[in-house]
Amino acid sequence: MIEAKQLSKSYGGQIALQALDMNIKEGEIFALLGQNGAGKTTTINCFLGFVEPTSGEALIHGVSVSNNPLESKQYLAYIPETVMLYPNLSGIENLAFFSSLAGQNYSEEKLKGFLSKSGLQESAQKQRVGGYSKGMRQKVGIAIALAKKAKALFLDEPTSGLDPKASNEFSEILKELSGEGTAILMATHDIFRAKEVAHRIGIMKEGQLVSELNAVDISANELEMLYLKTI
Amino acid sequence: MIYLIVKNFFRSKAHGIGLVLLLIAGLISLEIGSRFLKKTEQVSVKTAQYQQESILRNVSYFDKEMGTLMYYLKFGLENKVPNLAALSIGQRDIFPTVQSVTVRNLEEQRFSTDLTNPLYQLLGNMDFSFVLIYFFPLVIISFGFNLISEEKEGGTWSLVRSQAGSPMSFLRYKMGIRVISVLAVLLVLLLVAKFYLNIPMNQHFLAFILVSVCYVLFWFALTWLVVSFQKNSSTNAQTLLICWVFLNLILPAGINVFQRWLFPIPEAMTTVIQNREGYHAQWDKPKEPTLEKFYARYPQYASFVHPKELDFSWLWYFAMQQLGDEEAASEVTELKSKLRQRLDLSKKVSWLIPTVHTQLTLNSVGLSDQGNYLNYLTALEEFHEELKHYFFPKIFQDSPVREEEWSKFTLRVFQDEYAVSWLKTLAPFVIFMLAFLLWATTNFKTARLN
Repeated sequence: MIEAKQLSKSYGGQIALQALDMNIKEGEIFALLGQNGAGKTTTINCFLGFVEPTSGEALIHGVSVSNNPLESKQYLAYIPETVMLYPNLSGIENLAFFSSLAGQNYSEEKLKGFLSKSGLQESAQKQRVGGYSKGMRQKVGIAIALAKKAKALFLDEPTSGLDPKASNEFSEILKELSGEGTAILMATHDIFRAKEVAHRIGIMKEGQLVSELNAVDISANELEMLYLKTI
Repeated sequence: MIYLIVKNFFRSKAHGIGLVLLLIAGLISLEIGSRFLKKTEQVSVKTAQYQQESILRNVSYFDKEMGTLMYYLKFGLENKVPNLAALSIGQRDIFPTVQSVTVRNLEEQRFSTDLTNPLYQLLGNMDFSFVLIYFFPLVIISFGFNLISEEKEGGTWSLVRSQAGSPMSFLRYKMGIRVISVLAVLLVLLLVAKFYLNIPMNQHFLAFILVSVCYVLFWFALTWLVVSFQKNSSTNAQTLLICWVFLNLILPAGINVFQRWLFPIPEAMTTVIQNREGYHAQWDKPKEPTLEKFYARYPQYASFVHPKELDFSWLWYFAMQQLGDEEAASEVTELKSKLRQRLDLSKKVSWLIPTVHTQLTLNSVGLSDQGNYLNYLTALEEFHEELKHYFFPKIFQDSPVREEEWSKFTLRVFQDEYAVSWLKTLAPFVIFMLAFLLWATTNFKTARLN
């Protein structure tokens, strides 16, 4: 579902991504670990079409992002590290707006359903986003992704800054989505959560995927040791 | 989506305040226009009244000799102010609405007109064209400069781009609501103006409306172009404000300086001097050459002769006055042709500068520009000539004053014409807008936004 073939990106002489190969199947959660600047965000941006790869190809549901950016975007949803919304609109209005951008029109009931599912308390749904906390905005971001019913979900450090309870709820939603067949690529610094939620874990260094393993084969402590050794 | 974009637009206080300020400034300008109309109306009513009174009073004082009476009598020519001029006062506030002349030499009278408070001239009028040309663009800039950059800086851009296949229609709607809201204020103001100032719906008003709309669209097109480069908010704001300063302040002032340099008008001063010298010197000269010149100019008066034994006759006096005008004639022609050249030059240059083009066109259709003033000057000459030919025979043969029907000399009205050339009026806007939109489209394509 999410596939990279020899994906490379360099800015001037600086290599950000070097011949990355990766294949994430339906229902699979792939966690990317790595230091800042290792190439995790660049990888996600290549799939989102925000960044044009220097060479190689990024495919979503078999559709090349570079050649068919409009089509590939139909299949994906994205939750940035910090979900920023329109402060003058309420949570439910923001959700309605972003869904309409993707060409979807939901009834108010449905929209409320998505927000409740992502954990936003009902009393806050009609309040303006200007007064939301980071966690609340993050939940609206999740609802936007849920509403899009995407085949591929990209997450850039989605739990950074969330309290443990919110992080935990978030993991549950990811597992649920994966159960429904969504392929998920998640860049994160949170080794513990990566081990807990992901099926496969990749460690990136200087634009390359230097090790890749199944989450069941390793404990969180071992993973941490491996990570520290690798980078 | 459109509904939510509209909602988001109006929930931002700045947008509401901008629109309300625009509306208030516009309404104030209409009030200023209305006062201007009242003032000019008053001037012409009072002048008409005064002219009648003054003629009758003079007739009662000087009823013995036609020449003495005609030395004093003044006849006014009103430069008719269309109500549309209230929206674009132009040069109407420095040039007189009514000028009254005697049958004596014209040039000396031409520039002795009513006084205007120099303070008003210093500040200029905040008429509707001022609000349109200077204030509307600022609001347009403030609405549009961060069209994309506010999304980037507010962090919503990545989510927008990941959700929408192409964010272009989102951006178009976003710009669209700004265009519509500003145009709505403009049209409301013009509608209020139509009824409040009682402006007739004719081709001039239609041209005024179209030019105003085009001007607003021009600034939106420019803003669209600037945001298409996708720079940050402060860069966009700076770029647009620099454009505003150039288009509204520096370039118009530059054209003005250029005109003055290209067509200097020393004649303005020398005309008056030449004219005065022209006739004052006649007192000390033999009278025959003066009369010869007068007969050469107007052979129809050759039958009237100056009695040789007399030092003074009205025939000689008015012939000598006429000579003053003739001394200055070449200077006057030169002055007018240079003023005309300045006007033509600015009209040509204005093709490249939409702000100047707007001001000139609004003044043209409001009959408040230099062109109208030049036409009025010519009309005044014709009026003066007509008066002379009516009264000269009566003065020279000393017709009885009381036999003349004085009440028929009411205030004469000059109605200027201006034919709108639609191509010349609208083409500069269309050319610029098309160029900006095409350029912007290329930028968006390069950035792979569409």
